[in-house]
Amino acid sequence: MSRPLQALLAGAFAVLFAGAGFFFYQWRTGEQPPDPVATGRTLLAAKLLGIDDKVQPFEQWRGKVLVVNFWATWCAPCREEIPGFINFQTRYGARGVQFVGVAIDQKERVIPYARDIGINYPLLVGGLETMEFARQLGNRRSVLPFTLVVDRAGRVVTTEVGILRPDKLEGLLKPLL
Amino acid sequence: MLTRLIPALLLLLACAAGAAEPDLLEPEKAFRFSARLIEANQIEVRYEIAHGYYMYRDKFRFDANPASVTIDGSQLPPGKIKKDEFFGDVQIYRGVQRFVLPVTGAGTQAPRFTLKAASQGCADIGVCYPPQEQTTELVLAAFTSATPNQGFAPFGRMEPAAGAPAATGPGSQSEDSLIAGLFRGGFWVLIASFFGFGLLLALTPCVFPMIPILSSILVPHGEHLTHARGFALSLAYVLGMAITYAAAGVAAGLLGTLLSAALQNAWVLAGFAGVFVLLALSMFGFYELQLPNALQSRLAVTSNKLHGGHFASVFTMGILSALIVGPCVAAPLAGALLYISQSGDVVLGGAALFTMALGMGVPLLVVGASAGTLLPKAGPWMETVKRFFGVLLLGVAIYLVSPLLPAVAHMLAWATLLIVCAIYLHALDPLPHGAPGLLRLFKGIGVIALLAGAALLVGALSGGRDVLQPLSGLRGVPTAQGRAPVFLRVGNLSELDGAIRAAAGKPVMLDFYADWCVSCKELERYTFSDEAVRARFGGMALLQADVTQNLEEHKALLKRFNLFGPPGMVFFDRQGNEINGLRVVGFQPADKFAAVLDLALR
Repeated sequence: MSRPLQALLAGAFAVLFAGAGFFFYQWRTGEQPPDPVATGRTLLAAKLLGIDDKVQPFEQWRGKVLVVNFWATWCAPCREEIPGFINFQTRYGARGVQFVGVAIDQKERVIPYARDIGINYPLLVGGLETMEFARQLGNRRSVLPFTLVVDRAGRVVTTEVGILRPDKLEGLLKPLL
Repeated sequence: MLTRLIPALLLLLACAAGAAEPDLLEPEKAFRFSARLIEANQIEVRYEIAHGYYMYRDKFRFDANPASVTIDGSQLPPGKIKKDEFFGDVQIYRGVQRFVLPVTGAGTQAPRFTLKAASQGCADIGVCYPPQEQTTELVLAAFTSATPNQGFAPFGRMEPAAGAPAATGPGSQSEDSLIAGLFRGGFWVLIASFFGFGLLLALTPCVFPMIPILSSILVPHGEHLTHARGFALSLAYVLGMAITYAAAGVAAGLLGTLLSAALQNAWVLAGFAGVFVLLALSMFGFYELQLPNALQSRLAVTSNKLHGGHFASVFTMGILSALIVGPCVAAPLAGALLYISQSGDVVLGGAALFTMALGMGVPLLVVGASAGTLLPKAGPWMETVKRFFGVLLLGVAIYLVSPLLPAVAHMLAWATLLIVCAIYLHALDPLPHGAPGLLRLFKGIGVIALLAGAALLVGALSGGRDVLQPLSGLRGVPTAQGRAPVFLRVGNLSELDGAIRAAAGKPVMLDFYADWCVSCKELERYTFSDEAVRARFGGMALLQADVTQNLEEHKALLKRFNLFGPPGMVFFDRQGNEINGLRVVGFQPADKFAAVLDLALR
């Protein structure tokens, strides 16, 4: 067998396996990537209670580059990433970036924590039923932290399960500014 | 050549990137929960934590309902230390974690209680699950009662907090709650009950094949056989038999958790019920259950070959006899074994079946001690005992499938069993003059069964849905029903859309409901009937989707709202659009629920 033919064959196999792997993954997870427009619409139509006990519609942040972070004080990884968010809000706030925290928690725990750590963006609170809402937004396994990035047109650009690393977040935000 | 490989490699990379999204387990798989009652004052709670996941020691909360039962969850075993930059050192658990927790207040006052276990855990890849609450019903009566009928409450049925469909604990019923009441004790009471159960079994014709075997052991001794030696020989024989049953009991105990887990499946429950009906029919004499003749005679020949007189060989004969008799007592034995498997306790299983076999052996011991002069006479009374077991088995069958049946069918089944029994007990036949006391007693029992059956029948047909209070529907006083808000039923997506359109201008609440859903019933009873909640309902259109039957259109309804199952309340605004983020999944007390309604009415 000639060398080019060998390479071609290897390539063909690689493609075959990759394809099979991809379809297996799709089949196993049984999930299409969420529709960015519909998910964005769902998010912006929602209302939750703020830590000030007022109903806060997400609609008020339409037109901003919106980063919605589902978290809780009892969730160690969530607390790990929050200082980074505070930093981003300071640096990019003036350029239209708005962070919003949704705490699956008790108001009484969220307020002192937010004060101690210096959270500089709006915080909303919800009970466990809010996890159902997060599930609708693409949080398949209902875990925390869960973060969505929404562009100015209201499309969900990214959903991230687990810690959203600053370098990745920066890369996501830059093109949206 | 490299250029050709690059696209392929890129594709592979893309694929890897796609799979890079953390592949997380559902919380109920990451942290598998189970609980069981060890004794009246101790429960065992187990969490099987998947590899790569952990749970926080200080986040466990154990609670019981009714509140008179308290569970002490303060003494959990130490966990591994994990550094947390905010909370300092925290203790976590990994792998299989087993807690034995003291319980107080469970007993005669509260024979069954609901265990609520709250917990919280995370995955190593850096995500956490919200606090999970699992509830499970633990039944004390089942643990200690003597009658298999009560014993079959498969305890440890799980009800995921998310409200996913789960068979809920069987409605307690209680023809023999009286008997069960007598047996709320502990290990020894249970053992004693099994001994009694064995005595009853000894009254069936099943033990008959053993008598010739035993006499073949005793007879060779002829006139030299003393009472003491006769007793000792028959004891050796009975012990051999008991050991065999004890082995079966141990096996059932070992299989325990497996069996009781399987018992949560509707098909398995129905299958078992079917087996019990078949066994019951054999008790009624529709057919005989025994080992194939060839096998039976070979065993008999083998045991005859062994020389009687020596204790060891008599003992072996006992073991062999148990095998011969086994299939005949299979029906009640299967009941006993299933009951033991519920407890999952090996020692208990072995001991219980051992004493049951001893009970079965009592007549044989009497025969032995009498040195062969006393042999019971067969008679129709033995058939009566068999029929009694048959009825008991049918009761067990109904009990097993009760969680699967609508309340009406459940009540009708009991009514049928009771009434047919009553007829067999001559409840409607006149007593002959000078009838013996036993006949009168039977007739009395028959009349009670007839009345109970009639009450169930009348109750079921008049809208009563409570097996324990069949006639409550006839009270005439509008109780919960009069107070309950009126829901418009929707059965499929188009009905739902139509109903939402028809409600134009009003906010809409859609409630997912099912007969088997305990939380739904609690919602009805405690939340929907609340004054504050009903006042708010006044300004809303109320829809209800009854998904009891879980038809395709029901699944479609649930799927539209991404719900696993009832209970779930979804709200729509005055324009008929769903109000996002304002759902209620699971039970919610009235005050909280009223606050949610306020948001919907805004």
